[in-house]
Amino acid sequence: METAQKTERQHPVGGSEAEAIIEVRGLTKRYGGDTVVKGIDFDVKRGEIFGLLGPNGAGKTTTMEMIEGLRRPDDGYARVAGYDTRSQLAKVKEVIGVQLQATSLFDLLTVREITRMYASFYNTPTVPIEPLLESMILGDKLNGRVKHLSGGQKQRLAIALAIVHSPQVVFLDEPTTGLDPQARRTLWDIVLRLRDEGKTIVLSTHYMDEARILADRICLMDQGKIVALDTPANLISSLASESAIEFRLPAGDHAAGADHPSAERLAERLETIDGVRRIEFRKESWVLYTDALQRSLTGLIAFAEQEGLALTDLQTRTATLEDVFIQMTGRSLREE
Amino acid sequence: MKPYIQLTLAQLRLFGRNRQVLFWTLFFPVVFIFMLGTFMGNGSGGAVEGYWIDEDGSERSAQVLAALEEQKAVLKLEQAKDREAALEELRHGTKQVLIIIPAGFGDTVEAAVTGQHSGVSDSPAGSLTVYYDQTQASKSMSALNAAAQAADEVSKAVVEYSPVVAVEPVGVQSLNLTFLDFIVPGIVAMMIMSNNLNGVAGQIASWRERGILRRMQSTPLRPSTFIAAQITARLLMNGSQALIVLLLGIFVFGAQMNGSWLLLLGFVLLGTLAFMAIGFIIAGLARTPESAGPIAGFVSFPLLFLGGIFFPVSDMPAFMQPIVKAIPITHLSTGLRQVMNVGAGIGEVWVEALVLGGWLAAAFIAASLVFKWE
Ligand SMILES: Nc1ncnc2c1ncn2[C@@H]1O[C@H](COP(=O)(O)OP(=O)(O)O)[C@@H](O)[C@H]1O
Ligand SMILES: [Mg+2]
Repeated sequence: METAQKTERQHPVGGSEAEAIIEVRGLTKRYGGDTVVKGIDFDVKRGEIFGLLGPNGAGKTTTMEMIEGLRRPDDGYARVAGYDTRSQLAKVKEVIGVQLQATSLFDLLTVREITRMYASFYNTPTVPIEPLLESMILGDKLNGRVKHLSGGQKQRLAIALAIVHSPQVVFLDEPTTGLDPQARRTLWDIVLRLRDEGKTIVLSTHYMDEARILADRICLMDQGKIVALDTPANLISSLASESAIEFRLPAGDHAAGADHPSAERLAERLETIDGVRRIEFRKESWVLYTDALQRSLTGLIAFAEQEGLALTDLQTRTATLEDVFIQMTGRSLREE
Repeated sequence: MKPYIQLTLAQLRLFGRNRQVLFWTLFFPVVFIFMLGTFMGNGSGGAVEGYWIDEDGSERSAQVLAALEEQKAVLKLEQAKDREAALEELRHGTKQVLIIIPAGFGDTVEAAVTGQHSGVSDSPAGSLTVYYDQTQASKSMSALNAAAQAADEVSKAVVEYSPVVAVEPVGVQSLNLTFLDFIVPGIVAMMIMSNNLNGVAGQIASWRERGILRRMQSTPLRPSTFIAAQITARLLMNGSQALIVLLLGIFVFGAQMNGSWLLLLGFVLLGTLAFMAIGFIIAGLARTPESAGPIAGFVSFPLLFLGGIFFPVSDMPAFMQPIVKAIPITHLSTGLRQVMNVGAGIGEVWVEALVLGGWLAAAFIAASLVFKWE
């Protein structure tokens, strides 16, 4: 099934010249003594899918909701289509559509009723409701109550409500969290279709595969700061090493853990293997990053033979966004 | 206009589809009325206290006083020092009855006995004037009964058959109130309070907690439109529920309706709006969504007991009276009761209407100041 295939698109003006529909400058949010968004700057270009990728608590939701005008920035500003989110909020609301991370709808209304209700909130012309819901694969649920929808159907309804007034910019906050793989793929297709229809999409996620598949550009966030911002391909190739070799050592064997006294010595010697650029130890696995996979692998096996180490779970893979994140922050993107 | 209509429709649909809530909001008041109205019957709420004045000072009046004294289990009377002061106490509800033996009472009775009044034996010669509190149904009933019995006794002592001494209740002579008559307006007032105050506070808080309001906040929808739709839907819904219970109380259970339906409806609407506004204040003030329900309960629970729903407000201790007079539920229950029981017109209940209106205005201003989407 050829779903969720991103078609490579040329931006109309190309590269950094493309028009910025969202402009974020020095955006800051504090809660009590904590600064949870720390003066970030970025632009979102018209017509792109802009992915905010980061672990839970990175500040993705806070950032999006400051742009949507739902939270007041303590410093800095955001502009959408030229309108300031604080002083021209009414204008901003007409051009954006949002799907909030934590939202529920009136359970006892039908899909059609709630869509019609949301459509009535806008002064601008809205799209015909039935074709809209059909395009969200809810055509057979028009008269079904919201309560009886599945998780994926609810998310698709939330997206329908976000685009009922044909907004220029759509904000999707973790739209696939908690969905099964099938429902995620369906949703990805919908998001890509919206982009192809010309909408600008700001999407947050903590799934790197989702960001890689959907986003034209990824803004990697951690602890309220932007760690990196580029296309997925550029982010990954920015890693000097392009492949990773992972393996485990049996417990009890020397250097089974990073805190083992001999671990440091082991790491030093692993680093001397041909082609190895960097070494990580995480989740009980050793990871060697290399720009010469075959030579490093041969070297590793020779080294293991020589030292009498029994390598288990040996595997190689290409570097991922996860590796980029670890390199930038020293921490894993996934939840522990 | 469009969002207002859509939101009103949505709220009415939510009401209509929430069968459970719909059932219980009607079921409870009806059960209350049934239980209290049937089982409490005419039960008097303890002894009635009051004053007597003997303006006659004759032998006959002494006979009446002695007969009244025999009723002291239900009728505790003292001699009044001053008629005006006694009436004032009656108005304040600290005493419930004032029995006056008018000057010339003895002579009239004598005349009747000696036959000068023969032929008109169906209209008693001497009459006692009894002032009583019309709004305190059960107590007034026992007061009138006791006085009538005393009068009867004297009559019997004087002649065999025709009553020569009778009770002349002042106020509404045909008034014959039971506890049911008392409790129906009380229950309806309670219903209006809890449906609106607790209903609004609970629902808005839960919508806020579930992010429903935030989602609306991200659209151009104005808070005033949202609130207006809420008010409209609830006015229709809670207003008709109160009306249904009123109609059941009157036509099924047989509570009296002596006043204007229009005025009664006016009080239902006024009460609905006032308590809704207070509900919005609580929803706005609650720090966390979970606290709105308990706060609403904390506010409404004492009002149940202070506001003349189950007991007459005059049963409250004197030091509570200022509080009782200030809270809106008192004025709603009194207003409904006056219209239904006594048939009061706007001329007699304008104070109640005004106080409720004042609460309504103040509460809506406060509610619009404290309303927040999240
Ligand atoms: N209303 C709030 N009050 C206090 N802290 C908050 C609030 N909202 C978010 N935070 C904190 O801000 C940080 C960023 O949260 P959030 O923007 O939700 O992250 P993300 O969406 O990336 O998971 C977290 O540490 C969170 O605990
Ligand atoms: Mg989030």
